[in-house]
Amino acid sequence: MTVLVLNSGFAEPSATVRSHPAARIVSQASLCGQDLAAATGFVTGNLLDQNALLAFKPDLEAFLDRGGRWFFNGHIVRPLLDGLGIYQPMAAPKRADFTLHQLAMHPIFDGIALEKLETNKGVAGFYGRGANPLPAGAVAVTGLAGGTVPVDWVWLRVRGGRMFSHAGNDLGQMGLEWDLAPLLQARILDWAAGGPCLCA
Amino acid sequence: MPVRLIAISAGTYYHIESLEAERYACLFDDVIAPEQLVGALKPSDCLFVPCRTPPQRMIGQSSVVAAHLDAGGTVIAMGESRSDLWAPAIVFHERPTNWWWWLEPDADLGNRVTAPSHPLMHGIGKDDVTWHLHGHFDVPDGATVLAEDLAGQAIAYVDDVSTPGRLVVTSLDPMYHHGSHFMPATTRFLDKFLPNLKAWMNG
Repeated sequence: MTVLVLNSGFAEPSATVRSHPAARIVSQASLCGQDLAAATGFVTGNLLDQNALLAFKPDLEAFLDRGGRWFFNGHIVRPLLDGLGIYQPMAAPKRADFTLHQLAMHPIFDGIALEKLETNKGVAGFYGRGANPLPAGAVAVTGLAGGTVPVDWVWLRVRGGRMFSHAGNDLGQMGLEWDLAPLLQARILDWAAGGPCLCA
Repeated sequence: MPVRLIAISAGTYYHIESLEAERYACLFDDVIAPEQLVGALKPSDCLFVPCRTPPQRMIGQSSVVAAHLDAGGTVIAMGESRSDLWAPAIVFHERPTNWWWWLEPDADLGNRVTAPSHPLMHGIGKDDVTWHLHGHFDVPDGATVLAEDLAGQAIAYVDDVSTPGRLVVTSLDPMYHHGSHFMPATTRFLDKFLPNLKAWMNG
């Protein structure tokens, strides 16, 4: 059980990532197809070089086809997989549009009041400002704009594998005010390692 | 022959949105990855390195940047990319980002334009350089400060003295925010700064 954590930035990943038993940190510059072939989970952050990752599209498709799990943070702006759409920001959002609605139960958010992720020092808008379009067969987990903008979703691919999309800054760095970031990061890695997914 | 504006893209969503979306795409003559820089520049080119380019991507190209400046070229180094690690003669003092300054009553970040008549700053006012502070620079003698923070420390300057070329340095990070559809001041800044840059390079 290996979760490939792609480091696209200058800083090293958090202590939570470094100490997770399944995590294998790989710099994006050194990523090769064999890394994905040997992994069961994959985590990418909002510094992801989507141009470079696009070259690995066949490897990504194969990784998922054999049951892999990919946790994606950020805005999708390249066709990284068949079935994905390009990020859509909310048009002229108002404060009410940033209220975070739970649309499905997911272990990553279990027991966490979404209000603690919705604002930072009372200010909303950091969690997400739009959505990566919901692929066919995906389940929206949280939504903005009255629940109509799926900022978090899980895609159960017909061909196999699952992708979790969080269309904002890295979910594993959210909830700092409540010290939730380590918990969220650990749960992301647990999910990518094959842990429980959508709850009944 | 018009000066070419060559932008670096690290392939991040905010670079792709800022450099390729219709709003600014026509201003850039080419958009390339840092690793494509070798052999890509003519001395007359202006190299634009957008904010929040992961520094390791440019550190590997520091010799290309230095050679371009030595050949008389221009380099624009935007904020949060640790330009002090890959471009010459830059002394940067990083500070914790003050995300919350505006929650204080009558808050004023204090950023201001110090050279409003400089061609790069035409039409750019105090409100257009006001979102966050990420740090300031020690400015080489003879360089022109474009904007400073509340303490009078440089947050943007033009250095025509340290190399045979021209180095424009700032700690402002407008493309990250604009490309994240977040923070209107950053879009206002880019709406002026990028056309100003294009006109200045061809002036």
